[in-house]
Amino acid sequence: MSVLLKLTNVAVYVGDTCLLEPISLELKQGQPLTILGQTGSGKSLLAQAIMGLLSDDLSMSGDVEVFGKVMSIDERRALWGKELVMLPQEPWHSLDPLMKGVDQVKEVYQFVREKSSQESLTIAEDDLRHVGLAGSGHKRPDELSGGMAQRLAITAATAGGAHVILADEPTKGLDVSRRDGIVQLLQARSNLGSLLTITHDVAVARQLGGLLLVMKEGRLVEQGEATQVLDYPKDDYTRELIAAEPSAWSDMAPTSRQDSAESILVADKLTLERGGRVLFDGLSFTIKQGEVVGIVGDSGCGKSSLGDALLNLLPISAGSIVRLNQAAKPHQWLKLYQDPPSAFSSSVSLGQLLDDLIFLHGIDKARIAPLMARLSLPHGVLDRNCMAVSGGELQRFAILRALLLDPVFLFADEPTSRLDPITAKEVTALLVELASEAGCAVLLVSHDPALVRKTCHQIITL
Amino acid sequence: MKMTRLQWSGLTILLGLMTFSLLGILFSPHSMSEQNLDAILEAPSATNLLGTDHFGRSMLTRMAHAVGLSFALSLLCMLTSSLVGTAFGVWAVWGGKKVDNVLGIVVNILLALPGLVVVLLFAAIAPGSFWVLYLAISLVQWVEYFRVVRAVTQGVIQSPARQSSQMMGFGHWYQFKRHIWPAISPSVFTLAAFGGANAILTMASLGFVYVGIQPPLAELGLMTVELFPYYSDAPWLLAQPLVVIALMVFAFHLLAGKRA
Repeated sequence: MSVLLKLTNVAVYVGDTCLLEPISLELKQGQPLTILGQTGSGKSLLAQAIMGLLSDDLSMSGDVEVFGKVMSIDERRALWGKELVMLPQEPWHSLDPLMKGVDQVKEVYQFVREKSSQESLTIAEDDLRHVGLAGSGHKRPDELSGGMAQRLAITAATAGGAHVILADEPTKGLDVSRRDGIVQLLQARSNLGSLLTITHDVAVARQLGGLLLVMKEGRLVEQGEATQVLDYPKDDYTRELIAAEPSAWSDMAPTSRQDSAESILVADKLTLERGGRVLFDGLSFTIKQGEVVGIVGDSGCGKSSLGDALLNLLPISAGSIVRLNQAAKPHQWLKLYQDPPSAFSSSVSLGQLLDDLIFLHGIDKARIAPLMARLSLPHGVLDRNCMAVSGGELQRFAILRALLLDPVFLFADEPTSRLDPITAKEVTALLVELASEAGCAVLLVSHDPALVRKTCHQIITL
Repeated sequence: MKMTRLQWSGLTILLGLMTFSLLGILFSPHSMSEQNLDAILEAPSATNLLGTDHFGRSMLTRMAHAVGLSFALSLLCMLTSSLVGTAFGVWAVWGGKKVDNVLGIVVNILLALPGLVVVLLFAAIAPGSFWVLYLAISLVQWVEYFRVVRAVTQGVIQSPARQSSQMMGFGHWYQFKRHIWPAISPSVFTLAAFGGANAILTMASLGFVYVGIQPPLAELGLMTVELFPYYSDAPWLLAQPLVVIALMVFAFHLLAGKRA
């Protein structure tokens, strides 16, 4: 097996601070290499360093050897497209928003591989058929779903025939079914050369196989054969990462829920339309006090819209929603948002936001400290504003703020999808636990069926 | 909001000019219209620090009054138009489609007319009236605030942060204070600084074409045109109102800062 890419003591610095500690690795032909780690562990920096894409304020040391030759940044840049290619995280950012899908692939054949226009088009259409986009070639990227756009981006990026493919979080934000498709596509596309994938998703690492490197805070903690590392992890951090996968969670749904519990909300033959498209119709269900209800379904099927409709944030087209709990005030029906920073005003500190709430509803201040301890929120977060606090802390603060209002119903709209697996697990567990204690019903939306299965009493599939 | 060094220097110039105006009005021994035909077009001296004009009136007193008048008008216009523009801008988003449409029509009508023409029209109806000038300039200027505030507020109204505050039971004033105002305030301050400069320029332009403030009152544009015939005999006199207008506009632009 020939070595396609070899790194020797590659490190990345900003000024004197080391962001990525020296790392050496070899990418061999036909043997995929996967780098696993949480956000902020320096994975993406490594990919950027290999490509020569580091921003100006970052400096790099060590050698990058491509096809057995040490190359400078400029030499590596000359290989872009033909030999070395990187798939960016968000397909939307790498595709031309105004150009038809098939043309974006065609242009690669035409200008990189220098084929005739007609021939390029034929090959491009062929390619799209292979990735299941046969009927969608004429669409612009914004008319495609996330998974389809990612497949298009991968097809276009690999059309140049590169032997070394770097994929940076290729499955970010995709549903499980779509995710598996992307992984297979990557494998198929890389069978002539090799594939270096960066991911935080243990399942992706497992599917790709080959060699696995686990990184934490810019440092390599463990490496070896993927199956070996994942089945018999030696490092604590690797174990934690594996345990944070929803399918590995223990059942969290509290068993104490009784059938005699009062119903708080009845939805009858609900129909919802958005932009002239029927999302679902004839949906009926009942939510009981203290129950955790999960909604699963592929992206775009109306999961979030259903929750918003239950909170009267969206109008329904037909059917009825009846709130049976008459004693509850409107502010006891609340929502947790997907993107924590966007749900807070950044103009004042979090403590000020909390004080505002206490003042408005006359809440007992003594309740805050124990709750903060339960949510393991350091007291210091109250002095900072929402931009200076990590996503996990902010989502826990959002839970704190919601619980102070004694909610009867909490709609959690993918509350952990922007968080790291380990943090996501903690936050989900806390949410389910505290809400059940408070007798608050939770409507949990997730694109991960495993997560919902482990946490919910009732599952609604859209 | 933190001010940069340039913004501080702009503010300092403005405060300096205001102090000059106040001290001049309060302590000058001469009145604004007191003529002395024995001493016309005099160069600056110990008795008349800035010289005398073609009627022998004290330039210092007249400049002090003119600067004060300009400031009074520009600050009043700034305050009125920013308040009205911000209030209507927020209302257009919050009040629903109907309110937005009606306000949109009004604004489009105002935008279809060149600002100076509107002001000239008002000024021609009641020449020399300070309050009509003030009304006319404010009427032209609030549109800009309205458009910017409306555009920014639309984003904020849709934001999860405001939605969440609303669900938790916070009222309109709180939502404005915590969500909308922090988003629009930088733009409003910048617009206000430019608006102040524009009000001064508009007033001076009207004075220059004799439809603004009328003699014997002192006004920067009016003084410019009155002293114009003497530009070769007494250039220092013509220079005074011109330099002050330039300085005021410059200071307001410095205050506006870099971001637009």
